[in-house]
Amino acid sequence: MDLPETSAVALVIKIDDYLDAMRAVLDAFIVEKDLSAIYITSTIPSQSIKNVLNILEIDMERIYFIDCISHIMMGAAVRSEHVNFVESPTMLENIMLKVEFLMRSLEGKKLVLLDSINSLAIHNNTKILSEFLHILVNNLRAKGAYTLILSVDEQSSEEINNMLGLVCDETLAPSEQK
Amino acid sequence: MPETKEKKADAADARCITGIDGLDRILNGGIPRGNTVLITGSCGTGKTTLSLEFLLHGALNNENSLFISVTENWQKLIKNVIPYRFFDEDLLKNKKLIMIDLGAIYNKLGLEKSEFTAEDIDIIVRAVGDIVKEWEIKRLVIDSITSICFQLKTKEKIRDFILYIGKNLSEAGCTSILVSEISRAEQSYSMYGVEEAIADGIVLMANMERRGDLLRTLQVVKMRGTMHSRAKYVLDLTPEGVLLVPLLKGGSIPGGI
Repeated sequence: MDLPETSAVALVIKIDDYLDAMRAVLDAFIVEKDLSAIYITSTIPSQSIKNVLNILEIDMERIYFIDCISHIMMGAAVRSEHVNFVESPTMLENIMLKVEFLMRSLEGKKLVLLDSINSLAIHNNTKILSEFLHILVNNLRAKGAYTLILSVDEQSSEEINNMLGLVCDETLAPSEQK
Repeated sequence: MPETKEKKADAADARCITGIDGLDRILNGGIPRGNTVLITGSCGTGKTTLSLEFLLHGALNNENSLFISVTENWQKLIKNVIPYRFFDEDLLKNKKLIMIDLGAIYNKLGLEKSEFTAEDIDIIVRAVGDIVKEWEIKRLVIDSITSICFQLKTKEKIRDFILYIGKNLSEAGCTSILVSEISRAEQSYSMYGVEEAIADGIVLMANMERRGDLLRTLQVVKMRGTMHSRAKYVLDLTPEGVLLVPLLKGGSIPGGI
């Protein structure tokens, strides 16, 4: 994956390709490009992702999670230095604040991975979600970070696709290229 | 026309850079030097933390900074500052950051009473002014002004006190923050309705409920001597300091979820 710096990319994947896509993205950016990753999850709890990444033998030393889903699931959130919790996926400003905090705390270049736009769309209307993406992406661009927004094809809609088209420089759909 | 180096330096001198990035951006470069700013809000909105950070950045920037604690002892308060990654205990040892309990000043002045007279106000303001001059204080926080006003009883005395202390501090080149407590339901920006009219600036901090989520917000309502944003921002208190992002408008329109 060869992307210009500060680019924002929408990655449209099929649900069956979710794990492969995650592994490919983290491999490409953390291992090959030597970046730290800020992983915003609103789909499944960070602990579940960590378990999967463990199985996939992906080094998690440079992955920092912003977990917006564990609290509202009322599950026991596992505290760790690498996980920042946001109470609910509706607290979009707090997601931006946690990203800002990690952008300041971490050294070197960063990738911000949003997983996924579809799960955020369950909890937020399009108007506020577009506003959130617009501010987040432009802020990250100004700070020289890569932004990767995951969209699950089967869960997407025309509104979501338009929103991604508006804020992203490029849309990648690997499944279509097979 | 390009600005000269001297003009740029003058502009920087005229501003007291708070060191809180988001706030400095909102204020177009910082608080105009010598201003007395009221930071007002209900409990748990981050007034004390923001004020302490303002002093801490001043002290780190070689500006002597003074915190006058009215309600809590400062040793307890300072624990709030320790999680900051940029906090350095040497600032206290080197007297760059000075923490004083107002009770100690009252004690020294023999002013341990429930109601102050006009003469007492004069004595207190002069005592604070003397400390500011002696230690060459450039930044000062009084937390909280509401507790002092409680002992002044009348609006006239409160008005005199704030006018007098503001004038003294401004003349000494000191930029000051007066922390003001208001109840959650309060319609005005201060408990007594007088403080807000006299202060050069008002920063309103609040807890905003939106669809069951409680967000900490900050809004600069007034600031003499500078253009500034009057929009509402959401803040977070982090080890990197107070962080601010704009409040998303889609969430505040009627019917907008």
